[in-house]
Formats: sequence, C-alpha cells, structure tokens
Amino acid sequence: MRRHGRVPARAVYARACDESPPNEPLTARRRCRVSGPDPRYSAWSLLRARIAGDGYWRPLWSGRVLADAYDVVVVGAGGHGLATAYHLARDHGVRRVAVLEKRLVGYGNVGRNTTIVRSNYLLPENHYFYEDSLRRWQSLSRDLNYNVMYSPRGVVDLALSDDDWPALARRGNAMRLAGIDAELLDRAGLERFVPELAPRRARRFPVLGGLLQRRGGTVRHDAVAWGYARAASAFGVDIIEDCEVTGVATAAGIASGVETTRGFVRAGRIVFATAGHSGLIGTMLGTPLPIETHLLQAMVTEPIKPLLHTVLVHVFPGHGEAYVCQSDRGGIVMGGHLDGFPSYTREGRWDRLEEVVQGAVDLLPQIAGLRILRQWAGTNDMTMDGSPIIDRLRYDNVFINAGWCYGGFKAIPASGSACATLVATGTAPDLIRAYRLSRFATGHLLDERGGGPFPVRL
Amino acid sequence: MTRLVCPFCGARELGEFEFRKTLPEPGGTPFAQVYERIERPALSVEHWQHVEGCRGWLLVHRNPSTGDVLGTELLGGGPL
Repeated sequence: MRRHGRVPARAVYARACDESPPNEPLTARRRCRVSGPDPRYSAWSLLRARIAGDGYWRPLWSGRVLADAYDVVVVGAGGHGLATAYHLARDHGVRRVAVLEKRLVGYGNVGRNTTIVRSNYLLPENHYFYEDSLRRWQSLSRDLNYNVMYSPRGVVDLALSDDDWPALARRGNAMRLAGIDAELLDRAGLERFVPELAPRRARRFPVLGGLLQRRGGTVRHDAVAWGYARAASAFGVDIIEDCEVTGVATAAGIASGVETTRGFVRAGRIVFATAGHSGLIGTMLGTPLPIETHLLQAMVTEPIKPLLHTVLVHVFPGHGEAYVCQSDRGGIVMGGHLDGFPSYTREGRWDRLEEVVQGAVDLLPQIAGLRILRQWAGTNDMTMDGSPIIDRLRYDNVFINAGWCYGGFKAIPASGSACATLVATGTAPDLIRAYRLSRFATGHLLDERGGGPFPVRL
Repeated sequence: MTRLVCPFCGARELGEFEFRKTLPEPGGTPFAQVYERIERPALSVEHWQHVEGCRGWLLVHRNPSTGDVLGTELLGGGPL
C-alpha cells in the first residue's frame, strides 16, 4: 500500500481543528465528583500512579450489588442507558439509579457502530437535536473526565448523480439556516479536501461533489460506554451486568418494578434504552411499537498508514450505501445499508458485505488489496419514519428511549440529557418533543428519506 | 440464512427475494396495520416478494433469533 496525499491531509486537519464551533457548548461544565480512591484522571494522577506503583488504578465502575428498590431503573447499559443514568444523577440529583444490563456494559450497539458523529440532517426537529448532540461531543471528554477521542475530521456526503447534488444542496442550506456548519464542495473543492479520493478518476458512479460538515467526525465508541459508566458510577449509579429484565410488574395502573433474572426490583420509574431489542419491549408490555429490528453490519481491514483523513459517505443510486473512514489504529472501517429483513442474529448477510466492499473499493481503489480482519453486525431498532422515539410507554412511569435506527451513536449525549429531563421532571424538553410516540397516529412523521412506513429502502 | 424456498420456484438465493414487512396483529385498526409491528424473539411472520423470480408474494415464517426459516407459502394460497 502506497501513501496518498499526506501533506494536504495534514493541512486540512489543522484547519478543521482550528475552526471554532459556531456556538458555545450547551452544558455548563460541571466537574464529575469522583468518590473513593478512584482518582480523577489528569497528568497529576499519572504522576501519583507512578509513585504509588501497582494497585493505584481502580476499576472504571464499581461492582455494586443489586438493591431491592430504586428511584429509577434504566434497562440497558449501552450509550443511551448510561448517559440517561449519568444525567439523572448529575443534573437532577436522583439518588438511587440502577442500570440493568443483560450482558456486559457496551456489548450492544454502542460498541458495534462505525463511530461517526455528525449533525447533517434535513428536518429541523432532527438537525437541532443532533446539533445539540454534536456540541456535547465537543466537550464530552472534559465533562466525563475520560478521553473519548472526539476527532473533528469532517464528514463528506458524496453526490454521485445529478439528482444527489440538489438534494445535498437543499440539506446543506437547511443546516446553514439553522446555524449549523455545512459546505457544498464541487469537484475541485472535493479534490482539495480529499485528494486521496481523486474525484476525477473514472469510476462506476462518477463523484460530482459533496456536502462537508467539518465538525463531524469520529469518537471512540468503547470509550463512550466506559466513560459514561465510570462517570455515572462516580455519581452513585449502580451498574448491574448480567441481569436481564424479563417483565414489568404493575400495581394500581402504574408500573411497580421489573422482574429480572436476579429477582424483583422495585422501581419508581423505569426507562427502557434497549436499542435493538426495543421492539421486544413493546411486545412485552403489550403495546406494539412502530419498530422493526434489522441488522446493520460493518467491517474493518488490517491497519495501514494514514490514507483517509475524513469520513466519506456514499449512497449508491437505487440501492445500498457505503461509508468509509480510517480508525485511529489505521484500519479502514466500512459500513453500508441494512441487511434488509428482521433479525436478532448479529451475523450479517454475505451479499451485503460484498456490496459494501464494492462500494468502498469503487471510492478508494487503493484499499482493494487489504484483508478484512473483522466483520460484525448490530441490531437496529428501525422506526417507520426513521426518527427516534423518546416518550412514555403504556404506563405513566415507564419511558422508552428507542427507535434510533442507524443514528443512535451520535445521539448519545443529547439523548441522555433530554431523556433524563423527561424522566425526572415528567415533561419532555423542546428538543425531543417531536420524538413522541403519538406522532405516528397524528401524522406528524419525521421522515428524512420520504420513503413511507418501511425501514427498508426498495 | 442464505436461501428461501419459493413454493413456486423452489430453493433460491436470498438475493432474489425482497422483504417487505413484518405483519401487525391481524384485524387491527388501519393505523396499526400501517405502522405497528409484532416483534417476537422466536417467530416473525413476514411478507416477502420473489422479485427476481416468479414475482409472487410470499408469507414467510422465520425465527429471527436463529435465522431459521420455519415455512414459506404463497400469499393468497395458490400460484399467481
């Protein structure tokens, strides 16, 4: 593998990092109160650890035992569940919060995505929400006192046909009207920003231009789960792994607690943040949701020297899509479209993998000789309009944070904060008012794609 | 899951078929018929179409947790 376009890439990096965000982060930075011997991470703590020797570092979150009763039980220790618990404890002072996890912290989609964060949405309800999230990503490492490796390397949506171009322009204009950064790049501009893409190269689908969001980029996904778990644990949240919720008990018309594989737990309020298993939660509560569960797979190649300094998103005309970025370790990470039918197997179908690789190699022929090291799939809770649901579910004290489709990872900070506000105060903040469940019945759908009530693109 | 058995054409590659939707509870309101889905860990009842074959509409019973196909029949009961 030869190196491509190193020098311009560095220059672009510097430019992207220098550019300050259009607005200040929304949250006041409050230091995370770390109790016990667990040190706050700093250069000073590194020095102290060096002097103290072995045994200085503590586990990121403490292994607490499950109590009989909690003010709030959050089901699912993924990004959304942990972030919700963290904000409940930090912003609303809720004392007794538990996060119950069927398997391990970060086993699900928070560790199965392609780590991309962006806020380049068309609809106002979505772009304001994701913009809130993006601003929180910018300061998250400081807020959590844990390096989540937010890398504003830019996200470029590529136009591959004459129809793509005005669609991207329209989306970019909508974003700019909302004060979100967006730049429409023509072929020459694209050539300057991503020289390794060589937009003029002859390919199956010619690249005409792209929509660039410079503040978009990547965040290390595992660090997000671990960072939130550590910060929530420091605020006294109990994180209980290997504890599956099997049912909800009710009394006097409201939920009284959850049945788990470790016994009954009384709960004042219950939040389901179960991502790909949210459809089953609906069935469990006897309230079918407008959710269908599909697989989305991704894969990563062997590590190579720096080749691609940004994130490329590439939608084939008519079918599928591929997005490509390079991880900090050097692997080329690729993802594509849904597998196309409901599944919980987390396996991924072979012909879709081929399609994604075809798309990625079509964009960057340089990577054709690389070996794929790993391939994985996540279960996606696809709603019938492609936008999430944060609302009450059946009972007054049961909440659901679901339907994130393929956009769940980048939404974590905003979703955690907004969902915690809804749970703690009983009122949905303006940011998520559009994400109510009743929008399907009232017709106020948030359908970015305009594809009708089917998650699968035909 | 790499193949589906079309009652009309026989076992064919999965790529020939297109999934359309998981069926809602039968006899629900029009709203439920359009938007709601029944999600079960071990049984999914779905509409598929054999788009690159006979183009017949199929009723497929599958186990979404294992990927096993439990049964395929032509929608409406007979060849189209």
